[in-house]
Amino acid sequence: MADIEGLLHEVADAVISCKKEKVLEAVEKAKAEIPPEEIIEKGLSAGMNQVGVLFERGKLFLPHVMIAADAMTAGVKLLEEGMPAGTQEKKLGVIVNGTVEGDVHDIGKSIVSTMLQPAGFEVHDIGRDVPIRSFVEKAKETDADMIGTSALMTTTLQGQREVIELLKEEGLRSRIKVMVGGAPATQAWADKIGADCYAENASEAVAKAKELLL
Amino acid sequence: MAAEYALRMGDGKRIYLTEEKILSEIEAGSGNAADLGEIPDLSVDEIDKLAQILMMPGKAVSVEHGMEVPVTHDIGTIRLDGDQGNSGVGIPSSRLVGCMMHERAFGADTMELGHIDYSFKPVKPVVANECQAMEVCQQNMIIPLFYGAMPNMGLYYTPDGPFENPGDLMKMFKIDKARESMEHAAEHLTRDTVWVMQKLFASGADGVNFDTTAAAGDADMYGTLCAVEILRTQFPDMYIEMGMAGEMVLGMHGELEYDGVRLAGLWPHEQAPLAAQAGANVFGPVVNTNTSKTSPWNLARAVTFIKAAVEASSIPCHVNMGMGVGGIPMLETPPVDAVTRASKAMVEIAGVDGI
Amino acid sequence: MPISHIMASGMTGIRAAGDLVARMEFSKNMRIGEAKEYVAKKLNVDAMDLSDEHVMRELREELDIGIITSVPGAAKSIAAKMNIEKLLGIKINSCEAFRKQIA
Repeated sequence: MADIEGLLHEVADAVISCKKEKVLEAVEKAKAEIPPEEIIEKGLSAGMNQVGVLFERGKLFLPHVMIAADAMTAGVKLLEEGMPAGTQEKKLGVIVNGTVEGDVHDIGKSIVSTMLQPAGFEVHDIGRDVPIRSFVEKAKETDADMIGTSALMTTTLQGQREVIELLKEEGLRSRIKVMVGGAPATQAWADKIGADCYAENASEAVAKAKELLL
Repeated sequence: MAAEYALRMGDGKRIYLTEEKILSEIEAGSGNAADLGEIPDLSVDEIDKLAQILMMPGKAVSVEHGMEVPVTHDIGTIRLDGDQGNSGVGIPSSRLVGCMMHERAFGADTMELGHIDYSFKPVKPVVANECQAMEVCQQNMIIPLFYGAMPNMGLYYTPDGPFENPGDLMKMFKIDKARESMEHAAEHLTRDTVWVMQKLFASGADGVNFDTTAAAGDADMYGTLCAVEILRTQFPDMYIEMGMAGEMVLGMHGELEYDGVRLAGLWPHEQAPLAAQAGANVFGPVVNTNTSKTSPWNLARAVTFIKAAVEASSIPCHVNMGMGVGGIPMLETPPVDAVTRASKAMVEIAGVDGI
Repeated sequence: MPISHIMASGMTGIRAAGDLVARMEFSKNMRIGEAKEYVAKKLNVDAMDLSDEHVMRELREELDIGIITSVPGAAKSIAAKMNIEKLLGIKINSCEAFRKQIA
């Protein structure tokens, strides 16, 4: 009997090594022995989670995270090729993510988007300095389950409240969750404006998105 | 029932904790720093001292007689005349008045002049105005007066600057292009800051304060270190303070090195020697406050990191203790009880040379 | 908030001798203990006195290195800084610039 644990470890390690060819090789090897869903969850996703941890510990850097995410996506695609139609991996949810109008800070929000994607979410990163209405329009267009709003200045925090207010006006608030983040945002602020959650960093954003959308 | 002490969450909210809980939070916060930075935990005596500081009965506490340190000021006079809804309190006043108020009314040990946008790049077109303001201030003041601004390398990327935004390039998996863009931006950052400070130093500035270094990641730090090195070579007597933006240098590029050391992923104790090597006189380490954690956790974590930085540094360390850093709650009006406790702990336990 | 720090830990600038200690940290990379010791020696006081307003108020006026109140005839701004240069044995950039202008 094949060493299932060993094969899954190999897939996860390949993701952590940030080498696409290695990931594809490991997935190819594993798929003969293990169901695709298990390879995705216990191999690819587990590896990507570890990449997130290493990023936050200053051991891996943004280019590595991007390469690992790309490699994981390629691995998932390879697995899906062999799966019957309709059984392909289902996205955990659709998330629109952006920095609110008046605020050009980009890095933190982009890292959150980068980490959400390989965690199984369909992410639409709409950039920085995004007009409030664009968050809601994009959410409608993509049938989003969640909107993530980032603000790095106390002056632009209000934009997060405005997104929530606009969702209410449009009658969408009950079906679209809202996550807030950024240096001046806090849990108290999230509670005050009626956001569904606040995340301190990228890995917390992934964990809280899973909590809310699964 | 055990006595409870009024303390704070990282967002400034008041909480009540028992001594037992305070001690366990301190141990956990210190342990977190030790784990991340691969540095020593606080000792039993230090933990006990920190707990004593946190549990002191007075609202405001202070260092013991003789342990005072210089308190330097960043953001220029923006905290007085700025009215952007954040750090400033919107008092209409000239920058000269602001600087002199810090010297004569507030008891500041050093002060700095800063531009309302507080970044080096936008100073370029108005540098003559800044030089004039510096000259007027220097002719009226006694305490050391710096010129301060943020390297803010993000201003060199689209849509604000000439180079393609690395975030956008990364999303398209154009990693090499993104890295090239960061390297070009760092070169321009170095060039601009050196040019601005050449002018300000000629106008009598005591020196420069690089505030929030590495806010845009490792290339931002690289550009700043290169600027420090050039300024030190050109002006051996310039006072140079290099303050950080966050506790760890974010690896946006990932491969940039200074003096043979990779910049990405460096923690405060690893950053300090590089600032000294480049030629800074004073290093300003930062530890971020986690708003979801208690003040004992945050302060213990910050003190652990800063103590290691102070020990590793060959130059004085002036810890950053503004809103949301150095154990200070993330609040525009941080509670006095939390600020003074953090202040005392940084001096008496971490051993900082200034704040 | 800066006032809270000054009250808790600061040397209170020209109310006492905070500016002098800061100058030694910045001009000679001295750590806090060394800087205090250096300034105390130059002022012929104890290190503890450097944060003592009672000691420093009179001493600053006597040394003519700038005081917080407006005493007529006392050295101010550049003049006070020039006296600080001599006292501490350092050069201050604004004084250098001033000297160049009057040369």
